[in-house]
Amino acid sequence: MEDQTLSTQNPTIGYVISGGLEANLDVRLTVPPQEVQEGAFVVIDSNNWRFYGLVTDLRLTAIDEQYANQLNSQRFAPHLAEYLNKQTLFTDLAVMPVLMKDNGPEVDSPEYATWRHEHTDDPAPMPVKTIPNHHAPVKLADQTDIADIFGEENNKDIFRVGSTREQGHPVCLNLDKFVQRSSGIFGTTGSGKSFLARMILAGLIHADHASTLIFDMHNEYGPDTTSSDTGNSVFGLKGKFTNKVRLVGLGAGTKFGNMPSDFNLEISHSDITTEDVLQLTQILNLKETSATTLDKLENDFHDNWFNAFMQMNVGGVVENEDGKMEPAPDSVAFWARQAGIHPGAAEALRSKLGRLFNRPYLIDAPASNGLKAIITALQDKRHVVLSFGKYDSELDYLLVTNLITRKIRDAWEQSTEDFHSGRSKTEPRPLVVVVEEAHKLLNREMASQTIFSTIAREMRKYYVTLLIIDQRPSQIYDEVMSQLGTRISGSLGDEDDINAVLSGLPGRGGLRGMLSKLQPKEEVLMLGWGVPMPIPIRSRRYDQQFWIDLFGNEQKTKTKEGILKALGMDDDSD
Amino acid sequence: MSETQTSIPIGKLLRAENSRFVAGCRVRELETPALGALVKVKLEDQSEIYGLITRILINDDSLVRQLVSGVSIPTEYTADNRYNRNLPVEIHVLTVGYTQNGHISHRLPPRPPLSLDVLHLCNSDELCHFTSLNEQAYLRHILRLLDQPVEELLAAHLRQAKAAHDAANDVNWYSLACQKLITLLRDDYQRLTSVLDVLTDLERE
Repeated sequence: MEDQTLSTQNPTIGYVISGGLEANLDVRLTVPPQEVQEGAFVVIDSNNWRFYGLVTDLRLTAIDEQYANQLNSQRFAPHLAEYLNKQTLFTDLAVMPVLMKDNGPEVDSPEYATWRHEHTDDPAPMPVKTIPNHHAPVKLADQTDIADIFGEENNKDIFRVGSTREQGHPVCLNLDKFVQRSSGIFGTTGSGKSFLARMILAGLIHADHASTLIFDMHNEYGPDTTSSDTGNSVFGLKGKFTNKVRLVGLGAGTKFGNMPSDFNLEISHSDITTEDVLQLTQILNLKETSATTLDKLENDFHDNWFNAFMQMNVGGVVENEDGKMEPAPDSVAFWARQAGIHPGAAEALRSKLGRLFNRPYLIDAPASNGLKAIITALQDKRHVVLSFGKYDSELDYLLVTNLITRKIRDAWEQSTEDFHSGRSKTEPRPLVVVVEEAHKLLNREMASQTIFSTIAREMRKYYVTLLIIDQRPSQIYDEVMSQLGTRISGSLGDEDDINAVLSGLPGRGGLRGMLSKLQPKEEVLMLGWGVPMPIPIRSRRYDQQFWIDLFGNEQKTKTKEGILKALGMDDDSD
Repeated sequence: MSETQTSIPIGKLLRAENSRFVAGCRVRELETPALGALVKVKLEDQSEIYGLITRILINDDSLVRQLVSGVSIPTEYTADNRYNRNLPVEIHVLTVGYTQNGHISHRLPPRPPLSLDVLHLCNSDELCHFTSLNEQAYLRHILRLLDQPVEELLAAHLRQAKAAHDAANDVNWYSLACQKLITLLRDDYQRLTSVLDVLTDLERE
């Protein structure tokens, strides 16, 4: 209980004058308003309790509106006007109380021993259930306060994601908690969400408490790239975590500039299920009859249904003994007639699936089982960045992400059941599936069809969670959004997007304005279950210094490896 | 207190209550007292009661009414009426504090002064000392006057006190007094702005 006797070192900035739990606290500011910003993290000491809150608004007020309505400096002598303004014109803060902590009586007071006897555990912040007294002093939170709430950076699971905007105190994210539930990183284009995502992923990989599977639609995360804004080079995860990260290219020949892939993913026809195809209903414009046809195909051909259907031709006819034309034995219509399916419906489906049949990464017998390799790598505590290379259409993205994720779901469900039933003593490795452009997979129409909504809702108990990266959170199905534990958002302009990010959270009114006023590329708002209280922060820079800070002592102890790497004789930097 | 800084007797008490009292003096003695000046009355028990002059009143009588209604008044009549009449000039004083056992308080005294107690004009040292104490709490007494032009009384008092404090190199006193007045009056917009208007005029003189 180190902070028992430590009061916040910062000076008082105001005092509580009114308010409540529902309506926020009103705080009269005693310093110039420019010293406090919306979103400032403040502490309020009242009796033995410390309250933690967030400034959600600043308002100009006057003891009498008439003092504000005239320019006092023109009517009165300058120093009289100054004194008058100081005593009659004020700035009030609206402070949303979020947490409180019972610090108990002073250590040297007679009551302390009794209190300590009744409170054997060190006091911990809890959701606010009462309010401070009138005139309780309000201070900006200092480094100790922020560490009390958000944890103290340990370069592992307590990961620094930024700093407070006023005084630059470090603000951390508990990565263990972050991966326990699905999370989201949001922001408009240019808000810095890709850099933020890279940084958090680097933290996750470095902490090594969970594996990550990154569906890298735009080739941003694996290889080193160049910033479109500054032209500076941006480190990818593969270059920094060479041994921990597997760089996987979709299809043969997918490359990452000068960086080779660890292996390429080619998907066997037999790995494609009818479920995978049904999840593409919208994009392939499939009819309602398609489900029946696919069901029959699977019944007739089992795992080989995709290849068998691909081999059938459309419109092929032969002349029978009676001289009449009838469907050729290798035609779709021939099979359909045998299977009791309307030939027209089957031929229409065959035609629509033509877009899949010509995907070069879907082949009958791939040289290696890329899907299995990905799952094995993830179970083996590695991290996988799957780059789509030139196959960056929506169809490719939906098909491959769904297919892989379905395999993952099956594997992790099995591992979890084995673990719980005692068949395996190894607890499944937590897995975070990182999905970019998530609204394509998780919009209202798709959410019911794709595997991702299931993961967001149910897979937590099977050790799999999602990390959604998106610029249009309003397009993501509400039910999925409400499941997101931690939300980190850069600036958002659209009212619907702001509402979506705040859905299901208390104090939305105060946070709404904050989201719309975040500085692009600089500031983000962290909120949700995974963070003790919402807080806007100046995000940590994803630059050379970031890597120096992240690897810190580890690199010092790897002097030999460092030298070898510099000589090009070793590439192990993680 | 230096010899040149001796308190000047300016009259004797006519009537009194805790919060205010009235002294009388001859017209010839009237050169010294002024509106807003700090005065005191020394009691038999050596305690002192302080006040501010809020009003100086010259009453009429039947003789002066006859003279005023005459066509012309010889100069010697005017002088005789002014300087030899038996009716005193009234000096109205607002009680603003007292001393007891050497301690100055800005509250009202437990008892008023008695008739014929001597009224003294406080010298600069006494003025500076009294007005510096208790965060100028005595100013609140002025603000409770309802039958007086408070702004003018404040301006008169602050001008005299500021001069005394400036002479004693206490240049902050006036600023503190202005802030105190704003604190006391800020809930009354009309009254405060009137006071500040007068103080602004005073400073621009």
